[in-house]
Amino acid sequence: MSQRGEPRRVQAYDGELGAAVARAQEGDEAAFAVAYRIVQPGLLGYLRGLVGNDAEDVASDAWLEIARDLGRFKGDGAGFRGWTATIARHRALDHLRRQKVRPRATGLESDVLDLPGAHSTYDQAMESLSTEHALELVAQLPRDQAEAVLLRVVVGLDGPSAARVLGKRPGAVRTAAHRGLKRLARLLGAEGVTDEGPRTLGESR
Amino acid sequence: MNSSDWQPWGGGEVEMGGQQGDSTPSGRHFARPGADDPQDFRAESSPVAVLLAAAVRARDVEGKREARAVAAFLEAREQGAHPARTRRRDDWRPRGVRRARRSLRATLAALLAGLTLGGVAVAAIGVSSGGDGEGQGRAGPSSSAPERPGSTPPDSTGSSAPAPGASPSGPSDRPSQAQDTEAHCRAFEKVEGRGKAMDATAWQRLIDAAGGESRVRAYCAERLGVSGGGSERQKKDKERDTAGASSDPSTAARTTPRPGQPRKK
Repeated sequence: MSQRGEPRRVQAYDGELGAAVARAQEGDEAAFAVAYRIVQPGLLGYLRGLVGNDAEDVASDAWLEIARDLGRFKGDGAGFRGWTATIARHRALDHLRRQKVRPRATGLESDVLDLPGAHSTYDQAMESLSTEHALELVAQLPRDQAEAVLLRVVVGLDGPSAARVLGKRPGAVRTAAHRGLKRLARLLGAEGVTDEGPRTLGESR
Repeated sequence: MNSSDWQPWGGGEVEMGGQQGDSTPSGRHFARPGADDPQDFRAESSPVAVLLAAAVRARDVEGKREARAVAAFLEAREQGAHPARTRRRDDWRPRGVRRARRSLRATLAALLAGLTLGGVAVAAIGVSSGGDGEGQGRAGPSSSAPERPGSTPPDSTGSSAPAPGASPSGPSDRPSQAQDTEAHCRAFEKVEGRGKAMDATAWQRLIDAAGGESRVRAYCAERLGVSGGGSERQKKDKERDTAGASSDPSTAARTTPRPGQPRKK
């Protein structure tokens, strides 16, 4: 895992994203593609946390709806992140309902771990391993914390927007994100030291 | 961040560079959602957040899927879907803008709801005080009591019976605030789920009284249940009072306030 400062860039893109969305709403498909490229990484990351390996498919479904309803959207770049995250979340919950799986971020345990395939280069393997590892840690959080953390950190939403996506009060989401990050920090920190620390943490609920 | 010193939530200490100490874990900040956001917690800059974002955000966005999304966009454009109506959930403009545009509608709605709730409350008060007025006529050890034909001459044991507690508070056995609350509760039953009524001051008061929006229903159920019990109790009071009226001297009741000075006849 490298420190890339990505979340900073998430925010920095908001202006560009807002402009792209505005042009896309006037019918500019190139601008729509730009918006897609800015939003998709975070959206996909969030969906990975929710539905694991089906994230790509769910994201595709979400984008169909986003493309269709774009004319309805009102707001700036940051708002577009929130709007798209809401759509993606609904798609993800639909997906989980269809699967009759509890919507917890544990799509990962079974299949994600053997993801780095034979075709991977070493670098890719390392990268995807770290992705899985991170998702594994997130999966140990209670769902409200996991979602709050993913929306804040990975999608790049501010507190009120994340709360709106989740349909909760800002205070509750702030607390959830806060606790989630704290717990992740502990999980990460404990890993280096001892094995027994984190085991029980995921089962608090 | 070592594993030994962690404490249950609510302990309030944060290990991640301490930037988050200001965010209380109570989760009850209804009133100021955006105001404290800048320092709410620096989700984006804590080391864990940076690690997490770097790991989980997708790095390679697949061109094939992008092409599909763009195709859907073009299709929608051709079908003229884009000048569609903005639903509430599609409006992600910053708070101020949204609020300004809605304010007129919201104000009207709130006003209307306020009038409705207020009206119901007044009506309810009217109803219940009417009932109490009736009770007052019968049970009250008021000046009119001696003139009642049923009242019997004083009797020595009487001074203890109807008692100060029953007399002055008898008529309005619940405080008017409780009546208000009940009225609001009844109003709540009527307007529940119709959004804007929740803006009304009366509604806010009800929420405060219940200790949270989600608890209003339970609170009201309890209140209205209690008030049902209350009116039964009232009935019993009345029965007792009317029973007492035949044997108990209302004059005795009038003398009770100052037990130290037995009144001369």
